[in-house]
Amino acid sequence: MAIITLPYRYLERLSGTDRQTIIDRVPMIGADIERIEEDHVDVEFFPDRPDLYSPEGVARAMRGFLGIEEGLPAYTVRPSGITFSVDPGLAEIRPYLGSAVIRNVALEGEAIESLMALQEALHWAVGRGRGKVAIGVHDLDAVTPPFRYIASPRDRSFVPLDFEQEMTMEEILTDHPKGRDYAHLVENFPRFPLIVDADDRVLSFPPIINGELTRVTTATKNILLDCTGTDKKAVMTAVNIICTALAEAGATVETVAVDGQEMPTLAPAERVVSVGECASLLGLPLTGEEMARLLRRMRFGAEPDGDSRVWVLVPCYRSDILHDWDVFEDVAIAYGFENFDAALPATSTVAQEHPIPAIAGSVRSVMTGLGYLEMMPFTLSNERVLYANMQRDPSPGTLRLLHPISEEQTVVRTDLLPLLMEMLLANKHRELPQRLFAVGDVVEACVTYQKVAAVSIHPAADFSEAYAAADVLCRELSLSYTVTESADPAFLDGRRGDIIVDGRNVGVFGEVHPAVLAAFDLEHPAAALALDLKAVPGYPVPPGTP
Amino acid sequence: MELTLNEKKLLVVLGSMGSADAAVLAEKMDSRREAVVQYANLAGERGLVDVEKHVSRRYTPTEEGRAYIGKGLPERQLLESFGETIPMRDLQSHPLAKIAIGWMRKKGWIAIRDGVVQKTGATAPGPDEAAFARLGESGAIEDGVGVADLAKRGLVQEEEAVAYTVSITPRGRELLAGGLDLQEEAGTLTREQILSGSWKDLPLRRYDVTKLPKRAYPGKTHPYQRLIDEMRRVLLDMGFEEMAGGIVQSSFWNFDALFQPQDHPAREMQDTFFLGERWPLPAGYERVRDMHEHGGETSSTGWGGTWSAAKAEQCVLRTHTTSLSIQHLAQHPNPPVKAFCIGRVYRREAIDPTHLAEFEQLEGIVMDEGVNFRHLLGFLKEFYAKMGFEKVRFRPGYFPYTEPSVEPEVYVDGLGWVELGGAGIFRQEVTAPFGIEHPVLAWGLGISRVAMLRLGLRDLRQLYRSDVEWIREMPTYGGRR
Repeated sequence: MAIITLPYRYLERLSGTDRQTIIDRVPMIGADIERIEEDHVDVEFFPDRPDLYSPEGVARAMRGFLGIEEGLPAYTVRPSGITFSVDPGLAEIRPYLGSAVIRNVALEGEAIESLMALQEALHWAVGRGRGKVAIGVHDLDAVTPPFRYIASPRDRSFVPLDFEQEMTMEEILTDHPKGRDYAHLVENFPRFPLIVDADDRVLSFPPIINGELTRVTTATKNILLDCTGTDKKAVMTAVNIICTALAEAGATVETVAVDGQEMPTLAPAERVVSVGECASLLGLPLTGEEMARLLRRMRFGAEPDGDSRVWVLVPCYRSDILHDWDVFEDVAIAYGFENFDAALPATSTVAQEHPIPAIAGSVRSVMTGLGYLEMMPFTLSNERVLYANMQRDPSPGTLRLLHPISEEQTVVRTDLLPLLMEMLLANKHRELPQRLFAVGDVVEACVTYQKVAAVSIHPAADFSEAYAAADVLCRELSLSYTVTESADPAFLDGRRGDIIVDGRNVGVFGEVHPAVLAAFDLEHPAAALALDLKAVPGYPVPPGTP
Repeated sequence: MELTLNEKKLLVVLGSMGSADAAVLAEKMDSRREAVVQYANLAGERGLVDVEKHVSRRYTPTEEGRAYIGKGLPERQLLESFGETIPMRDLQSHPLAKIAIGWMRKKGWIAIRDGVVQKTGATAPGPDEAAFARLGESGAIEDGVGVADLAKRGLVQEEEAVAYTVSITPRGRELLAGGLDLQEEAGTLTREQILSGSWKDLPLRRYDVTKLPKRAYPGKTHPYQRLIDEMRRVLLDMGFEEMAGGIVQSSFWNFDALFQPQDHPAREMQDTFFLGERWPLPAGYERVRDMHEHGGETSSTGWGGTWSAAKAEQCVLRTHTTSLSIQHLAQHPNPPVKAFCIGRVYRREAIDPTHLAEFEQLEGIVMDEGVNFRHLLGFLKEFYAKMGFEKVRFRPGYFPYTEPSVEPEVYVDGLGWVELGGAGIFRQEVTAPFGIEHPVLAWGLGISRVAMLRLGLRDLRQLYRSDVEWIREMPTYGGRR
């Protein structure tokens, strides 16, 4: 999540309102206040609104929301005359380049920090960790156009940012901190992306690190922007957001000709939306006039187009507007979520319990009637608990997590009894007898179904107790069953039975094997049972699949 | 005044004796001394007898002391083993010499000069010897002169003896004079007594209602399950159909069908549990692909780029139950639909008191002609009110598959406004590929957070690795904080 620092002084200057108004109102455009400090406030903005990742962008939005300045922000661009070429050899490496020149920037005070923070936040939200888009800002006056974006041999050297000596690009990947962080993005390519000027001096090794040569400082007056990446749309989103943020702070934007194409245009996108569709989605009796007025508060250009439509200009920095409903959400935000009149629709439906929770409910009623206490163990477990401790072979359908987070949770449970044994261990210091049961999901070979297991531990726990409980459970669930001697190694030979329904083995009960008790560090006899609920009449077919 | 039979028997015995030691009474009553003391205390509380407790100390011989009984203290034995004088060397060969020579000198019985031991004549027995002699006669002695010396030498040990003297009071005599019914009391009512009618004259032993019973623990459902069932009942009462489904989902149903872009951070292995298994895509998956690539037939631009079928086939542990909602809608594309689900969902998070890798999520969807954003807020208010959260407010939110999106907050005493769940209207990019033509209102919340608030928990793990004692003690009804 992007947490943006908004210094009050800078924000007040940019927005034309006071800090308290902003703190009070900013959550209502879609934000969570993280921390309120002496000289700044930290605010979390949503991942679909990277245009709000700077004080300049927030000020622009709040001026509209508070009615200080409405409608589409006007950005003029004129040609800089600077050209940038893209090497066709980059097509398989990092093909897209976006660029712009920004003149007369004022980077004293909070402005330079805000620019650096915006760059970092965009790297995360738009650039997906610099893979999709990486951004470089350069002191234009330190280099000479035209510029070239080339696929360079890997042993080319230059002085990277924060270093004093030349390093080869390969050395940067192993020895520079940024090189190590982002090496995975380029290390498999035969050549590396590189940006050079007319004198073949290095500006940047995207997406890794800029050259020290074009370091931006508070004294920098003119900026050259490069955004490189693998997704053209995302590259231009980053260019537009940075250019318009700097323009909001008073700079002027000039275009660069990238392979002959002048960019950026900072031009809005047009959309014609339906008033009726918006009104029925939001449940508001809106006219085209009202809709347009609300959209101008969200900094759209908007005019009614006849009675039934609104002509909308979407600012170039609003990359989240994919669909007409995205526009309608802005209508709702401008209207104010607090002003909506909550109501229930006339929709008439009949409630219907799902058969699986219904069966589980019956199991609970039987087991609690027998004096058992319910447990709700984790569904993630490990093979030691599920199989080794139980002296059982792993189920062939066991699902293993590809990237487990701990040794305790590496597989999805296929049975509940081992987890109850673990619970007995955790409750060893509590008064006996303890009778525990659990009913819930297990998964084998991607198929989710339900089981019940129960265990009773006390000095007199025996086969008869397990058999009696299994018999009650089956009878109460309308299961006609027979019992045969079991071979389940988790139970004692001669004191274990399999529950057979329609010729299928659907459960087991008996006296828990002393070696299993020892594996769970338990000291008293235990009687246990387990039953597959698929056997219960009325169980829905098929069970849960992906 | 209802006396127990034993109290009555005690009064009868004391009527002739007046006052007696408990041990004596026990013999008379054919009972044990401890039991008599218990009856006496009961009768004492009623003012019928006085019970006097005497604690006395007495001394009995230690093992060493027992060895000298009848022979005298070692120094006396040694003194009497020789005449007036004896060479020290000879005296030292006596078995008691080690202990006794020192004591003889200390008591001034002998003097030693030039290796010869000489009796002084002042050898009369002291108080310690007198006490020791008494000990020899009776096996135990009271405290007295000389006893402390014996104790110090480790020849006797202290023992505490408690005796009870029970005396009948005037009130007890009065009661006794009035006559006592000494018929045996019955502890249990039997079938025979009920059938024969003899219960009518049966003196049943009375119970003391002020004494707490033995604590019993009933079989119970889990407190968290009771909360889940309460939520299920609220939604069933509101006319919702219940959904259930698999824990394992293909990425297609968990992400792609919900218009979550294939490069979304939630789809990376840092946040989601991926499995090695793959699951084939459903028929008509191309409409979802088209939606991602260019927005299909809607006003959407889509995400652009190329959609990968292979990526959509990868199985994951479901990150939300929304994957079940969209499948339910795909099977029931015609209005009206009101459905809900409570199920476990998975996030790849390290476990700590407030984060778990698995927890329950509740989700509700409403699809009908003409439902709108106001109705979404209406359902949220109604549901939260039924869960006991009277005050609810709404802020804009963001979820990849809803537009508009809303973050509800509920007011909790002592905590203020707490964000609880998320909601929105499914994007057309989500509904259009499945032929769903009307808005779908959707909301969800992690109910383990509600459980923390309602059950007063500080550690979420308590829900899943529960202390048996906690479940035993949590009342079945009125578990609210």
